[in-house]
Amino acid sequence: MTQLLAPEDLGILALSLRVAIVSVVASLAPAIAVAYVLARCRFPGRTLFDAVVHLPLVLPPVVVGYALLMLLGRHGPVGSVLHDWFGIVFAFRWTGAALASAIMGFPLMVRAIRLSIEAVDRRLETAARTLGASRTRVFATVTLPLALPGIVTGSLLSFARGLGEFGATITFVSNIPGETQTLPLAIYTFTQVPGGDASALRLSLIAVVLSVAALVISEWLTRRAARASPA
Amino acid sequence: MTMLLRAFAGCALFCAALGAASAGDVVVFAAASLKEALDTQANHFQRSTGHKVVVSYAASNALAKQIESGAPADLFVSADVNWMDYAEQRKLLAPGTRVELLRNVLVLIAPAASSATLRIGPQFGLAAALGNERLAMANPDSVPAGKYGRSALESLGVWKDVDRRIARADNVRGALALVSRGEAPFGIVYRTDAIADKGVRTVDAFPPGSHPAIVYPAAVTAASRSAAARPLLDYLASPAARALWERHGFVVAQ
Repeated sequence: MTQLLAPEDLGILALSLRVAIVSVVASLAPAIAVAYVLARCRFPGRTLFDAVVHLPLVLPPVVVGYALLMLLGRHGPVGSVLHDWFGIVFAFRWTGAALASAIMGFPLMVRAIRLSIEAVDRRLETAARTLGASRTRVFATVTLPLALPGIVTGSLLSFARGLGEFGATITFVSNIPGETQTLPLAIYTFTQVPGGDASALRLSLIAVVLSVAALVISEWLTRRAARASPA
Repeated sequence: MTMLLRAFAGCALFCAALGAASAGDVVVFAAASLKEALDTQANHFQRSTGHKVVVSYAASNALAKQIESGAPADLFVSADVNWMDYAEQRKLLAPGTRVELLRNVLVLIAPAASSATLRIGPQFGLAAALGNERLAMANPDSVPAGKYGRSALESLGVWKDVDRRIARADNVRGALALVSRGEAPFGIVYRTDAIADKGVRTVDAFPPGSHPAIVYPAAVTAASRSAAARPLLDYLASPAARALWERHGFVVAQ
């Protein structure tokens, strides 16, 4: 039985974790904003907006990756602007993989946070307002802490989803070892080569361990946050 | 409740009917670079004999792996001899059916809109021409087109400089698409791929001595039960099919 973690695996694991963590951190603020808007605001086109936010959840991931490629590729309408004016490139970079993961995990994060915000007692918010707090202060000191369990769950769901993201990543930033070859892509590459089964199996076990760990930590954190907030 | 059961039974029957393939059908597993040429050859064969031909295109290593795992292929056409040898050593081929079908040429391509010029020779300036961008290639570790490309670059002394700058595609057509879309300024594909895609232009061809000869062997699989497998292989190797192969840029093995 070969050692559990071969040296190459560490590089793949580190890249996968970096991509997933960056994707979650980057999408946190937008997700909270979108979740708040969907939970509290009524405006024309709200249903359409809700549908668009949930699109990555139901579209084939390859379609999302292809759309990213068309828009943010080197010669795409957004990509060429980003490259010429800001020097930002997503194509063939780990940043592109992080973007793909962020988009695919976004609906999961929004759903969890939105449910949590909807569960916040509005009378608490109103009470804070009558005591003189501004809207922003109410949001920061009342709504957000009470919605924390949902934010934690949403983040961990998005993290796990980002860790497992394959279709959008391989279509958008292709499969470059050390740069965009995350865990699922590495497993896929090994399954394409006769004799790569041992490596594929080893990496798959790592993926299972990571996913289980993410779920267990999510449960534990949610329960802690629920206990900390007043019943 | 009975309505639901009837609907479910109907769906199950439908799915079962979909799966049925007749013994006269031929399933071909072929290297990705054969796409247009083999599709046309298969159409001719289908029209003249009435046997249905289904072709699955992928990198030769992926196909070899699938056949080894029991995929229902009748014919296997690989882009290099190594993967065919691999299949032969594992007794996956019908004995005595292996033939050398075609040969090809390896080229360096650029997007059609690009005006880049490079002369391929020892130590040629590929790394400098790439700059910060990537060279699109099929996976140089396992896909035939990638392996030929790597051999060529190694023998020309250029590999160590471009090694880090490679955008690996699953198969040669993936590399072709990257260049065609302008995502990569250069790519290494077969001449037949460059001919097939109007979005790329050939910069130069690799000298035949810089890499192992590009040979496409073909064989009937040991597990094949199709009556039309051997006739199809004979047709593809026959003089009648030759003109079409050559029209797509392949060199027909004698």
